[in-house]
Amino acid sequence: MTEVGGAGLPEPQAPRPLSLPAMPQHRLGNGLTVITVPRTTLPLVSVTLLLRVGAAIDPPGRPGVAAMTVTLLSKGARRRGRGGRPGLDMGASALAREAEGLGGALNSFSGWRSVGVGMTVTSPRLPAALALLADMLRTPLLAADELERARAQALDGWRVTVSSPSDLAGLLMRRAFWGDSAYGAVAPAAALKRLRLDDVRQFHARHARPEVAALVLAGDISPEHAALLAQQLLGDWPAQGALLPEVPATPPKPIAAPLVLLDMPGSGQASVLLAAPFVASDAPDRVVGLVANAVLGGGYSARLNHAVRIQRGLSYGAFSDVEVFPAGGMLVARAQTQHAGAGELLHLMRTELSQMAVTPPSAAELGARQAALVGSFARQLETTGGLAQLVANQWTQGRPLAALAQHVGQLLAVSPDDVQRFAQTHWAPERWRAVVAADLTAAGDSLSMAARPQALRLDLAQLDLEQPGLLAKPPGS
Amino acid sequence: MGLPLMARRRVLAGFGVGMGLGWVPTGAAAPAGPASAPPASAQTTRVPTLSVAPMPLRQRRLANGLQVVSVPSALAAMVSVQVWYRVGGKDDPPGRSGFAHLFEHMMFKRTRHMANEMFDRLTEDVGGQNNAFTAEDMTVYQNEVPSNHLERLLWAEAERMANLQVDQVNFDSERKVVLEELRERVLADPYGRLFNALPQQGFALHPYRHPVIGNEQDLMAATLDDVQRFHATYYRPDNAVLIVVGDFDPPQLDAWVDRHFDPLVAPATPVPRVNIREPRRSAARQLTLTAPNVPLPAVALLWQGPPASHADAPALQVAQAMLSNGDSSRLNEALVYRQQSAQAAGFSADLYADAGLLLAYAIAASGQSLNRLAGRLRAEIQRLATAPVPEAELDKVRTQLLTSTLLGRQTAQGQADAIGRAVLLHGDARAADRQVARLQAVSADDVQHVLRRHVLGAPAVTVNYQQAPA
Repeated sequence: MTEVGGAGLPEPQAPRPLSLPAMPQHRLGNGLTVITVPRTTLPLVSVTLLLRVGAAIDPPGRPGVAAMTVTLLSKGARRRGRGGRPGLDMGASALAREAEGLGGALNSFSGWRSVGVGMTVTSPRLPAALALLADMLRTPLLAADELERARAQALDGWRVTVSSPSDLAGLLMRRAFWGDSAYGAVAPAAALKRLRLDDVRQFHARHARPEVAALVLAGDISPEHAALLAQQLLGDWPAQGALLPEVPATPPKPIAAPLVLLDMPGSGQASVLLAAPFVASDAPDRVVGLVANAVLGGGYSARLNHAVRIQRGLSYGAFSDVEVFPAGGMLVARAQTQHAGAGELLHLMRTELSQMAVTPPSAAELGARQAALVGSFARQLETTGGLAQLVANQWTQGRPLAALAQHVGQLLAVSPDDVQRFAQTHWAPERWRAVVAADLTAAGDSLSMAARPQALRLDLAQLDLEQPGLLAKPPGS
Repeated sequence: MGLPLMARRRVLAGFGVGMGLGWVPTGAAAPAGPASAPPASAQTTRVPTLSVAPMPLRQRRLANGLQVVSVPSALAAMVSVQVWYRVGGKDDPPGRSGFAHLFEHMMFKRTRHMANEMFDRLTEDVGGQNNAFTAEDMTVYQNEVPSNHLERLLWAEAERMANLQVDQVNFDSERKVVLEELRERVLADPYGRLFNALPQQGFALHPYRHPVIGNEQDLMAATLDDVQRFHATYYRPDNAVLIVVGDFDPPQLDAWVDRHFDPLVAPATPVPRVNIREPRRSAARQLTLTAPNVPLPAVALLWQGPPASHADAPALQVAQAMLSNGDSSRLNEALVYRQQSAQAAGFSADLYADAGLLLAYAIAASGQSLNRLAGRLRAEIQRLATAPVPEAELDKVRTQLLTSTLLGRQTAQGQADAIGRAVLLHGDARAADRQVARLQAVSADDVQHVLRRHVLGAPAVTVNYQQAPA
């Protein structure tokens, strides 16, 4: 690294190498994958039970089915009889009491390509925790009254979402970039109102099965004990044998307008987002892309935050991140500022993104961003929850666990030229899309330059997130 | 990434931000008091639970007054280096609310021997991270680095304690950042204005009544002179605690601490302290706040709480967990799930060094009146305070608290954090481990006693929050 300090700064000592824990895995007879990451320093285990299906396979026109199914998993389940005790139906309150009595908060998650349930408990509570999670995933009640309750809560939640410029701008960005593809679906109030119990029950009946399921156990447990528990609680889950669901490989279909301006009168701040293409999950330059994103906006000292916050004080923070799917991906840069600064902020974000193709990182800049990526990977290994998440993500993406051992080496092998070439190849300005959600009157002239040409200007009454073009159909049409 | 449907979680997260204003430690306060532990409850039928092994603390104090606490642990090749200063939002100079936090930002700027943002070069750029937060009673600087960089961080922390040299350009630019932080946390968040207003309603005299983030007018009035004066007044070795946890060699650490911190000199003048006593509230009152974008109205009830070191603190923390920790907690089960009268509900005991604030709040579900919602919040607290408490519920909360302590002990940062709170709020690093036992020993009687004392028999301030008329 370059010398940055003044008089007296000591030299670093020799580094200690990063070591990855063992991650033995096997499959039960019914196809369910079991992965254990032993870590015995504290009596804690993080357990995750997940399915390799998610919102990407929501039926067309019915966004929100996968997410609602996951919400209802924790709202009641048929408990199987064990140790001579008879089975019983357990409602939402009893289920929450049992889960929290084990010490861990129940973590239900629903992503584009995976859904599941998990918790972290002290090791003596693991068998009870896994029994509970298994019953929730295998035999949820999926009751009609619980759907109505969850729907009412989600509709109230939606009202909060649409009053927050950053939340709403994020959804708008997704829709503007992915358009009418699987990964562009958003479930606004109208979609929530359309959800039927049948949708949820069908999703569960089709997709909750051992062939697409994995059990991840990280912490104070041996692989032998894990195998025994998995066999006891999940071994009799019958395989269905049917074809595995196809993951949609739809590339982005961006809307025509390069910029969407959403007017939110009275909002407290402007939210500015800029998106550009990212590569698909199996692309050979995926790791180069991760490093390129880190150079652009992957940390406090990366280019975006340096230009926006450190040099100009325009925002509390400006960062970028990426999402990667089978037929493509999206890079999103985001920041918030006062309304009058929205135009300058968007201009700076566009400048930094275009500079990526012009100015490769210096050796010091690249080394720093690579070290930050390696460090954040290392920190994920510190907790049982971080380990379980790392392993679950790897399994969801269909990558071998052994590849995790190469991750650091791959990050460090990326060169300044690689980064520049990636930007030149993938980040052509005509493929960018931007969203500004702000009080457009307060933003005033600041956006007039940025808005040329062909910006799409909307207010909340005109916005329909289910329409690929974002515009609500006029009444009566 | 989550789907937009999981919006409820976003509401709760938003609440968390408002609650603690983000940089205030979450789950704030309410560690155990140093007074005698409450009597253990009589029941004996609990499932045997694990205990938390005490941290092997090493403690020393340098001649200049710097307190040093360290815990060697080779969990990972990382080390956490933190400096906790005994200065916080309550020490903002008159007419300068928000200054302690603004100053915290300045500590990442130039010193005699370091360039601006040098801390990022020493942490982020080598695979570590840094952060800082300002709370009511403290300002905390946290670094985590690969352990071979330990000495460099010790040098740098000593350097900015002694030799900060902020200039006007940096000051102006960083003040703009803080103003954007204020807009993001308070103005852009639909419930930010509500939570920002609560300290002023909860405290009458104590400077805790000013939100740590401050306000635009006071932030704009601050000068470079204020920065220099504040640094000279509070950033000195006898007003700081250095905490090092992780992969290090103890004798080597001691030698490095001596080399880099021993030369620092503490001024002869004492550190000024806030001595304002918060008076007892004599009457209940009610007020209504409005804001431009309030998607669902909300209500907050505020009572006066004891300081963090009070003997009632552990029982209040258990009460907080019973009322609002998880889906099965009483407020969520009753208001959100069973009655469907609230979109979110919670209770927190924010116990600071000099005084505390007890807060119950709920965001209304669509079509619910705030008056009824406030009544239902009160009814649940009343029920906990007076009706029999099932032993299983108390067991659940003990297990939750123990598990969450263990989660914190997994990382060097988490251990250092527990130590810092123990030292600053209880005057003793060992209080971090004692607190675990104290929480486990709280009985149902203890919970009911503290709720009757601090909530049922005390006047509340009721704050209604709703959309401003068009």
